[in-house]
Amino acid sequence: MAEKANEAAGGVESRWYRTLGSRIWYFLNSLKLTLFILISLAATSIIGTVIEQNQPVEKYIEAYGEQWTGFIFYAGLHDMYHALWFVALLAMLSVNIVVCTFERFPPKWKSLLEHKNDKFDPRLIEKFSHHETVRVKEGADAVRAKLEDLLKKRKWGVESTVGTGKEFFIYAWRGRMGRLGSDFTHISLLVILLGAIIGSYYGFKDYTAVTEGRTISVPQADFKLRLDKFWIDYYDTGQIKQYNSLLTVIDGGKEVLQKQIWVNEPLFYKGIRFYQSSYGQSWNKLAEAEIALKVKSKDSVGDPVKVKWDTLEKVPGSKYSVKLVGYTGDFAYDETSNTVFSKSAEANNPAINVEVYDGEKLVSTPWLFMKYPGIFPAIPDSDIDIVYIGHKGLWYSGISINKDPGTNVVWVGTAIMGFGFILAFFVYHRRVWIYIKEDGGSTEVKIGGTINKNQLVFERDIRELTDSIATDAQSRGRR
Amino acid sequence: MILSLVFFTFSFIFYILTTAAYAGYWVFKKKWLGQMGTALAFVALGSTTMILISRAGESGHAPFSNLWESMVLFIWATNVGYLLMEYRHKFKAIGAVVMGIESLAMLSASLLPFRYKSVEPLNPALQNKWKWMMDILSTWGLEKYAIGWLDFHVFTTFVGYAAFAISFGLSLLFLWKFRSEARGIGSKLVDAIPDSKVLDEMSYRAIAWGFPFLAVGIVSGAIWANYAWGSYWGWDPKETWSLITWFIYAAYLHARVTRGWRGKRAAYLSIIGFLAVIFLYWGVSFILPGLHAYA
Repeated sequence: MAEKANEAAGGVESRWYRTLGSRIWYFLNSLKLTLFILISLAATSIIGTVIEQNQPVEKYIEAYGEQWTGFIFYAGLHDMYHALWFVALLAMLSVNIVVCTFERFPPKWKSLLEHKNDKFDPRLIEKFSHHETVRVKEGADAVRAKLEDLLKKRKWGVESTVGTGKEFFIYAWRGRMGRLGSDFTHISLLVILLGAIIGSYYGFKDYTAVTEGRTISVPQADFKLRLDKFWIDYYDTGQIKQYNSLLTVIDGGKEVLQKQIWVNEPLFYKGIRFYQSSYGQSWNKLAEAEIALKVKSKDSVGDPVKVKWDTLEKVPGSKYSVKLVGYTGDFAYDETSNTVFSKSAEANNPAINVEVYDGEKLVSTPWLFMKYPGIFPAIPDSDIDIVYIGHKGLWYSGISINKDPGTNVVWVGTAIMGFGFILAFFVYHRRVWIYIKEDGGSTEVKIGGTINKNQLVFERDIRELTDSIATDAQSRGRR
Repeated sequence: MILSLVFFTFSFIFYILTTAAYAGYWVFKKKWLGQMGTALAFVALGSTTMILISRAGESGHAPFSNLWESMVLFIWATNVGYLLMEYRHKFKAIGAVVMGIESLAMLSASLLPFRYKSVEPLNPALQNKWKWMMDILSTWGLEKYAIGWLDFHVFTTFVGYAAFAISFGLSLLFLWKFRSEARGIGSKLVDAIPDSKVLDEMSYRAIAWGFPFLAVGIVSGAIWANYAWGSYWGWDPKETWSLITWFIYAAYLHARVTRGWRGKRAAYLSIIGFLAVIFLYWGVSFILPGLHAYA
């Protein structure tokens, strides 16, 4: 009722908003818009591959100058694929898909269901771009049986009706599902975009470096992770084969899972994945250091002694014991805060901090430098010095942490897309109309039809049909 | 001596001979030249197959891990695609164009510096084998022959590239034929190629294979990336360019059913699409830094 009232109100002259509405609808429904969006997406995506993405501002200024950097940030080109206008293009594509599907699917579906037409005008057959007329000596019944057998053998749907006298109408079809391929493909794109949206709202990405033996709390989760060991496998030629980490999940204070991960083999626990992504030697901790006693007056260095981290070790040939309490890979000293720190993660200037004991008594806590032995005496007022010869480093493993609840939605989308592709590209909707009429001593057969794609295949179909009845080349009509 | 490089040299010669035979058939219309072209194309295919097999033997993994190996795969897939097309449609004049593209691909692969051709073990990022396949094959102790996402991803992508290369050749021929038909001026050469309608249809068929294969390549890459790098999509230049290419061919498919865009404009899109493939394949590898830099 309401609709009727509306119609009446609209009258002969459409209201301006109706005209505008239908214009917008027409615009959103057009294939030219699709082409415009697709080509725009292709063209603009190039920008993001040329301008490096998500770099610090200084890098852009260095590469493009201040003015261009201003423009890059204004247009969002530094994070282009998340820029408003790019997302708007994707949204526009989605709207285009929705409108096109809404507009085209229902009538298509209806015509696919109600496609049979028992009696048709035989003259229309000759209007098809694929058609053929053949005259054969056999009777109409025999011809009809032959054609129907062939069509059924080739898995066509066949519907035939008898006309007046010796006259038959055959309608055959195959591959109606092929028409739905584009719809499945279009819907799959929406599903994939939905998955991407879910991922960007409810997922997260993080990175952490864990040294061997340490336990970390996993961000946005209620469990912990411990790195038991990190190691590298090599090929016989010395090239690196694989990076490995042995991880233990600690949930509720209990060790629930231990797994060795490597590049291409993550750990998955409670919806979060842990990936091997980098590695290195720790810059503030060692497994053990190697030291030796030096007698200054004789300038002689004794046998090396291994000292473990935080463990008191007796130095043979002396009254001293040594404990390793600190390490820094690239020694630097901050005077204001009076602290030692590492300038970089590399072992450019390694230094160890040791506590030297005479029995129970702490004598000194010197820093010893590997590259500059003896610049600070280890033990004050003594002929004995301690030198730092080498160490066994402690590995840390760089682990990427990732949670993306949209992933499965994306996979569902790609599965639908695969199905859509099979229908769209490899299932052809073919329809054939055949008219058979016996008059006098011979039978006239008109065959014609349509295919939604791959015309070359269809020519062969028609040829096969005519060949099945007209074995005599002479009797073939024009093509 | 690296055997695969020996086979490569032979294949190069075969592709040049094949191109010459097809071109001769096109110009002189001698049946025996056409048959020779087809026979030589098979010989070239056999030889290319031997490059791949010998390289797999030398490196101990499927030969899809550097630029040179992937070029050989591309050449192989294009050859297979062409022979299937010739078998179905029996148009041999097209062979001169497709085999010409093959010879150019051979030439560019041969000009690569040696570090792109050398036999390398797989680096950590490329090591991926399907566990289920290893489990099945281990019954017979053959687990080292299992394949994984690397092999699947590279193979499907390159089947796509090959189909696009063929459609590129067909689109060039289409534009030539279309122009001659529109102006009504024929020549000995242009008359020997099929009607523009047939060329358009064949070009479409090639893209109808390439488009889903590229999609499977992108998706398998996404599945693998999700597994190995932590997310299914990272806007890495190679990823982005594959998407750009995919958009262009999507535009082509829509252009074919749009009034005013079918025919000539669609053919231009197919040509632009293949230029994008070339950039996606070579340009990105050499110019733009990213995670795919190794191939």
